[in-house]
Amino acid sequence: MSAHLSETRVVRGACPQDCPDTCAFLYHVEDGKLVEVTGDPDHPMTRGGLCVKLKNFAEHHYNPDRLLYPMKRVGPKGSGQFERISWDAALAEIKRRWTDIIAAHGAQAIMPHAYLGHQGTLNGLTAGDAFFNRLGSTVAEKTYCESGSSTAWIMTVGPTGGLDVESLEFSKYIIVWGMNMLNTNLHAWPFILKARQNGAKIVVIDPVRTRTAKQADWHIPIKPGTDAALALGMMNVIIEAGLVDQDYVDQYTLGYADLQARAAEFPPDRVAAITGIPATDIRKLAREYATTQPSAIRQGVAVERSPGGGDAVRAITCLPALVGAWRHVGGGTVEMPIWEFPFNFGFMCRPDWIPPGTRVVNELDLGAALTGTMKLDPPIKSLFVYNSNPVSQAPSAATIVDGLKREDLFTVVSELFITDTARYADLLLPATMQAEQFDLMVTWGHLYVMLNQPAIAPPGECVSNFDLFRRLAKTMGFDDEYWSLSEDESLLRSYDWSSPQMQGITLEKLKDKGWMRLNVGTPDQRKPHAEGNFKTPSGKCEFKASAAAGGNFVVPVWRSGYEAMQPGDPVDPVPTYIPPVETAENSPALAKRYPFSLVSPKPHAFLNTQYANEPVQQRRQGEQLIVIHPSDAAARKIAQGSYVKVFNERGSFEARAELSEDVMPGLLMTNVGHWPGHNRTGTAVNSTTPPRHANLGQAGTYSDNRVDLQAV
Amino acid sequence: MPHIVTDNCRLCLFTECVEHCPVQCFHADAERIYIDPEVCIDCGACVPVCPVQAIHDVIDMADEHHVWILVNAERARDLPVVQAKREPLPTAVARRAELGF
Repeated sequence: MSAHLSETRVVRGACPQDCPDTCAFLYHVEDGKLVEVTGDPDHPMTRGGLCVKLKNFAEHHYNPDRLLYPMKRVGPKGSGQFERISWDAALAEIKRRWTDIIAAHGAQAIMPHAYLGHQGTLNGLTAGDAFFNRLGSTVAEKTYCESGSSTAWIMTVGPTGGLDVESLEFSKYIIVWGMNMLNTNLHAWPFILKARQNGAKIVVIDPVRTRTAKQADWHIPIKPGTDAALALGMMNVIIEAGLVDQDYVDQYTLGYADLQARAAEFPPDRVAAITGIPATDIRKLAREYATTQPSAIRQGVAVERSPGGGDAVRAITCLPALVGAWRHVGGGTVEMPIWEFPFNFGFMCRPDWIPPGTRVVNELDLGAALTGTMKLDPPIKSLFVYNSNPVSQAPSAATIVDGLKREDLFTVVSELFITDTARYADLLLPATMQAEQFDLMVTWGHLYVMLNQPAIAPPGECVSNFDLFRRLAKTMGFDDEYWSLSEDESLLRSYDWSSPQMQGITLEKLKDKGWMRLNVGTPDQRKPHAEGNFKTPSGKCEFKASAAAGGNFVVPVWRSGYEAMQPGDPVDPVPTYIPPVETAENSPALAKRYPFSLVSPKPHAFLNTQYANEPVQQRRQGEQLIVIHPSDAAARKIAQGSYVKVFNERGSFEARAELSEDVMPGLLMTNVGHWPGHNRTGTAVNSTTPPRHANLGQAGTYSDNRVDLQAV
Repeated sequence: MPHIVTDNCRLCLFTECVEHCPVQCFHADAERIYIDPEVCIDCGACVPVCPVQAIHDVIDMADEHHVWILVNAERARDLPVVQAKREPLPTAVARRAELGF
C-alpha cells in the first residue's frame, strides 16, 4: 500500500491588473493545479494581502467560460455563435483576409485596438506594437486612462517618478484628489493611516462621498470637471496670503509671474461658484495645505476625465512647488511613478518600423472610425482587438456596436472570455491568464520591479500575447531577428539594465526573489525634487510650460512609440480652467433637457470588466446601481431599489436606484465595469458617455455627461 | 457584504488581523474583536492569519455564523479602533486549545 503524496509548490508571480498596486503573488500549486493565490507578506506594498477583486483568482483560471480554442463565427455578427477551428486555420484566415485588404486598401485599413487588460512588458499595453508597426497598420492611440495626466505631468515636471507613494507615511497633510483609494489603490492606504497616526490630516476631494471620503478627516465634494478651478483658487489664496515658498519658487520653477497672473483670475468667490465648494473651505484648504508641511497630494486619474482635465492635472502638479513641499520627505505629489523605470520603448514598440506618414486613429473614437463619421481613407476594414473591451469601456458604445456589425469588417479578438466586444468577432483567439505566462510587470504605482513566472500550463490552446504576435509575424512572413528572440532576451532588451536605477537588479535575481526595488532612494529619505532637478527642458517645475509650444500631444508610449501626427491643438502655456461642455452655463438647452450630471467611477469588486463574469464577484458588487440624491429621487417619484432608465441622446441603460446623500443633488453615480450584456437592456453606462477628448493627451471625458432619469 | 468575527475570538484576542488590515476596521472590547462593516473592504487579508479561524466572509459562511453580522456592526460602532497588534489575552492559549487549533 502506498500513500499518495501530493506535490505542493509555491511560484512567485505578480498581479496582471491595470492598478497602481501591482501586488506580489505567491501561486500555490498542487499536482499541477493552481489552488490559491496569496499576497507576498514580505513585499512592502502587498504586505501579504490582495484585494476583493483578486479573491477568487485561482478559480478564475478554471472558469468554465474560458475561451480555450480558436473559434470562428458561424452565426450573424454579434450572435455569439462560434465553432472551434485549429490555430493553423485561424492564422491562415487572418493571412488571407489581411493580404486581400492590404492589396485593395493598404495596410492602414487594418487597426489594432489594445489597452491594459494585462500590464506586462511582454504581454501588456505595447505587446502588439512592434507587430502592427511592422505591418504598417493604422497607429492606434491608446488613451483610455492616464494619457491626459501623462501629458500634463511631463509638461509640468517632466518624466519624473515624483513622490513615492510609500513616503506618504511621512506626510503631515495629505490630499487625495479624485481617487477612491480604498477601491483602486488599496495597498497605499496603510501609509496614509500611518501618517494619520503621526498626526497627519487626510482630505479627500471627490464629487462622491466614496468609501475613501468616508474615512477622511475632511471630505470636500466638488462638481465634476472643476478641479483646475479649485487648484487655481488655492493658488490665489496661497499667493494673497504670502504663503508661497518664494525661495523654492525663485530657484526651481519657471514662469511664476504668469502663474501668479492666472491665479489672480480665480478668487475664492468665483471658484466657489464654479466648484460648488464654499469660499471659506477653499481658503481653509489652501492655508492648511501650504502651512502644514510636508504636504502631499495623491492625484487620481479621475481628474483627467473632463474637457479641462489636462490643465487640472497641470495646475495640481504646480501646487507642491509653489509651497515648497518637495523640500521634504513625504512632500510633493504622487501621480504615476512609471517614469523611473528605464524602459527601452524603441525596442518594445519599434517605432522605426512605422512607415512615414502613417495615420493615427484614437481608440476612444472607435465608433466614429468604424461607422464612417470620421471619413477615413482608406476605411478601417479589419480590427484586431486584444487586452481590451471597447464595447464596455469606450465612450458612445452604441456607435461602436454599429461599427462592429459591419459585414465588411474583419474583426479578430484575442480574449480570455467571450466579452461584449468578442461577441462581434469573426475570429476568436484564446489568451493565457496570468498564472500561465511569463512577464515582467509594468508598475505605475510603486517603485518595484515585479516578475511573474508561470505556475501552471495553459489550458486548451491558449497562448500568451507574446506568443500570439510571434505566430502572427511568422504568418505574415516577417523574418526579422526580433521575432525569434526568447522572452528572456526580449526582456533584457526592453529595459536598460545597466542604468543606475537598475543597479544590482538582474533577471536571474528576479527569478529567485520575484521582486526588487529600483535604486531610487528609500521612502524614508527620498526627496527627488528638494533641489529642483525636474526632468523638464529647463530642469525646473514649469508653471509656464515650454512643451506647450508644440501644442497638444500624446506621450509616445500610448501610441506605439510614434512621434509624428500629434494632435497639435494649441495649448495655453500656463494652466487654466477649461469648463465642462455639458453644463448649464455652456449648454443651457442641453442641461435643461438632461438635468443630471453622471459620473462613472470604477467598481469595487471588478477590475473594469474583469471578474465581472464571476458569480461570486457579481454577488459582492451587486447589480448595476444608479446612486441618486433622495431629493432628486423624490422629485422624480423614484423609489429606493426600483429600476430606472438613464438616458441621453447617445444612448441609455437601466440600473437599480440607490437613494443616498453620498452624491450631491443634481449628481448621479454609477460604476463602469458591469458587462453590458449582463444588464437588463444589454447596455451599460458607456452607452451615454460623450465621444469628446480632454484638452491634453486625448483622454476621454467620461465625467462630462448629462443624462435624464425615468422610472421603468 | 463585509467580513465578520465570530465567538472564536472571545478570550483570545490574538489581533494578528489588525496587523494585516489595510483599512483599520477592527474594534475591540476587553474580550474580543469586531469588524466595522462600513469600513471593511472585503479584501480578506485577515482571514488566513487568525490562529482560531474566527473571521469569515459573509458571502460564503455557514448559516450558524449569521448571528454575528449584527453583533459586529453594533459593537464596532461603540468601541475604539485597534490600530496595532496587542499581546493576546492570558486566556488565549487555553481558549485556542479548547477550540482545537
